[in-house]
Amino acid sequence: MGTVYATRKFTFSAGHRYWRDEWSAEQNARVFGHLTVVHGHNYVLEVTIRGPVDPVTGMVMDLTELKRLVGDLVVARFDHADLNRDAFFASGSIPTTENLVRAIWELLAPKLGGERLHRLRLWEDPTFCVEYFGP
Amino acid sequence: MSEFRLTRRYHFSAGHRLSSAALSDEDNARVYGQCYRQHGHNYQVEVTVGGDVDPLTGMSVDLGIVDRAVQRALLDRVDHYDLSATVGGLEGVVTTGENLARTFWTWLEPALPPGRLRRVAVVETDNNDFEYCGEDGSSR
Repeated sequence: MGTVYATRKFTFSAGHRYWRDEWSAEQNARVFGHLTVVHGHNYVLEVTIRGPVDPVTGMVMDLTELKRLVGDLVVARFDHADLNRDAFFASGSIPTTENLVRAIWELLAPKLGGERLHRLRLWEDPTFCVEYFGP
Repeated sequence: MSEFRLTRRYHFSAGHRLSSAALSDEDNARVYGQCYRQHGHNYQVEVTVGGDVDPLTGMSVDLGIVDRAVQRALLDRVDHYDLSATVGGLEGVVTTGENLARTFWTWLEPALPPGRLRRVAVVETDNNDFEYCGEDGSSR
């Protein structure tokens, strides 16, 4: 039997800004523009898992378990959080959508398994998303 | 290492009709049905670019550069124009979603940072969308 892909959506709201401490204010403004100002987004995260369908349950994965995992590891951590103060970004890594989706991958992949986690799609707003398929 | 794929959605509104110069009026009306009549859409275009992340900026492709390129190379040329009549580069093109996606690719590819364009999707209505990923591309 072929592989089936299942996707579940999650939402969280978080604040961030783009800023490098070792750069002057002028250089930050030149590279990042308005993104140097603290602002926030209603993020939408799509988590896609893949695998064979369990012949007994008819499921790729119990989506309740997926909801609990993503809720505990991602939503609880980032919802109404200042991303710049999160451990992933405290060392100066910029909380761009790219870096945030990679951080979420690092949180979920060990629990879901690289084989089962297929794709993360993170919407910063309804006009912009980043997709990541893992390292 | 697999790359990041960034998708940005844009909007434009334009008129068009489906009509092929190779067909008679009767055949055009039969083949294209109500789309043979002059009408228009609120189009959405999704532009997907790909690449690795710059460790300093955390960005794969600067969205400001993408936005300006799409505005200049695409939106300024089509927004509030008649795709079937007055748009340079669409002469002789039957303005189906398929042909628009392919044509927009040829406009956007040279305007964007080299080698970064991955996908152009033309969303004609909520019910119809058309994706093109280049000559060698596979969808998503």
